[in-house]
Order: sequence, then C-alpha cells, then structure tokens
Amino acid sequence: MPTSNAQSESSRRPPRRQKTQADAPGVVAASPVPNGDATVADELPRFRIFIVDSGWNSAARQVLHDNFHLLRDLQRETPIYLLGRERSIDLLRRYPALVGKDPIIRVHSEVLRKHRPPGFHGFRLHLGLLKEHDHALSALQKFVRFIGVHRDSRDLEMDMRKKLRLEGLQGAFEIIAHGDAHGVSI
Amino acid sequence: MLETSADVVSVGAGLLAVGYVIYEIDRRQRKLHDIWDTLGAHDEERTEYLEGLVASGELVPYTGGALP
Repeated sequence: MPTSNAQSESSRRPPRRQKTQADAPGVVAASPVPNGDATVADELPRFRIFIVDSGWNSAARQVLHDNFHLLRDLQRETPIYLLGRERSIDLLRRYPALVGKDPIIRVHSEVLRKHRPPGFHGFRLHLGLLKEHDHALSALQKFVRFIGVHRDSRDLEMDMRKKLRLEGLQGAFEIIAHGDAHGVSI
Repeated sequence: MLETSADVVSVGAGLLAVGYVIYEIDRRQRKLHDIWDTLGAHDEERTEYLEGLVASGELVPYTGGALP
C-alpha cells in the first residue's frame, strides 16, 4: 500500500519524482526495490513501461510473449507494468480507437529539460499493427535498443521525433532508389 | 513546350511518378506514426489513467512468473 505521503503525491497529477542523484547526467535511476520507509515518489525511476495486451491471437502477441523475459532482463532497472487481459479490455472499452493496435507498449518518462512542461512524457509502440512476425520482432528489438541507448537522455520525446524523422527520410530514399513501396522499415 | 503527344505523355508520366512518390512517402510517414509516436496531448487521458492505476496501487510492477 502506498504511504500517506505517497497518497498525497498521487492526488496531484501527474506524480513528480523528487530530485535525487539519479537526475545527474550519467547516473541511472535506482531499481524500484520495495522499501517500507521510502515514499513512492522516492522510488519513481526515470522510465516506466506499460504493456497493454487484450489477448488477440496475433504474431505480435506471440513475439511479445516469446521475448518478454529477455526484454525484462535488458530493462531490469525499469519497472514493467503488465495490464493483464481484463484490465487491457477495460482500457480498450474506454478507448475503442486502440482496438487492434495491442499489444501496446508505452514508455512514460520524466522530462529533465527545464523549458518543457513538467510531468510524464514518453512514447508508445503499437506492436499489434505489425502483422508479420519478423516486423514485430524487429520493432520490439528497436524499442529495447532505443530506451537502452537513450536512458540518460534529457528529452526522450525529442530523441524519438528525431529518430522518426530519420526513418522517414530513409524510407523516402528507399522509395526513390528501389521503388520499395510496401514495407515500413521501423 | 509540349509539341507532340509523346511529350504530353512523358510529362504526364513524370508528374504521376512524382505524385506517387509524394503519396507513398506520406503514407509511410503516417504508418510509421501509427506504430511509433510520442505521447501527445491526445494521450494525456490514457497516461493519467495508467499513472492513476499505479498511484492507487492497483497496478504493480511485474516481478516474475507466468504472463497474464
């Protein structure tokens, strides 16, 4: 159960992490080891991963299940929240536009740059839109690589936008050079 | 100037090719953003919903065992 301090934190939205040594560049946030004395705010790591999976029998779901433990091992310092089937269905009923896009992997991240609005930012991957096994696996690998490489990034969203722009340009060159108009590489 | 029907066909084909490339780049960009994107204002409600589950203790980090 959250402490009373944590409850007061949760009443504000979104919850903010207190300044810690982990805010310094190059210092990785500590793993959220349960600690009865620490508040939830103290334990908040830089990233949180949420996985929404309502259970469609899809290649993307198979890829996620086959590789989930590897993903977890590679992101040990990042808490992973699995919504489970019932809660995922609740979410999809609440936001029906997401149906068919799950499994969805969301990364919530705090932005350290001062000029950005405070609170949680991040990015998401609609893995369920990738129908081919290889494409889903490649996207999952890119996802893990991206948050690994940008762990100390001061603005994860900006890095993601740069990456998307770069991928878009590469796609344009592919079309012009090869006429390959069918796949999306990322 | 377009003096022969061959010129007209060539220019038309060129315009079609350029249009197709623009259309295809735009289509791929949209698809890319459907798959990957940053959390924008339209995601705020979902973000708050999920963070609310964590803050309330309804959702806890995965610690091992079989996947749900």
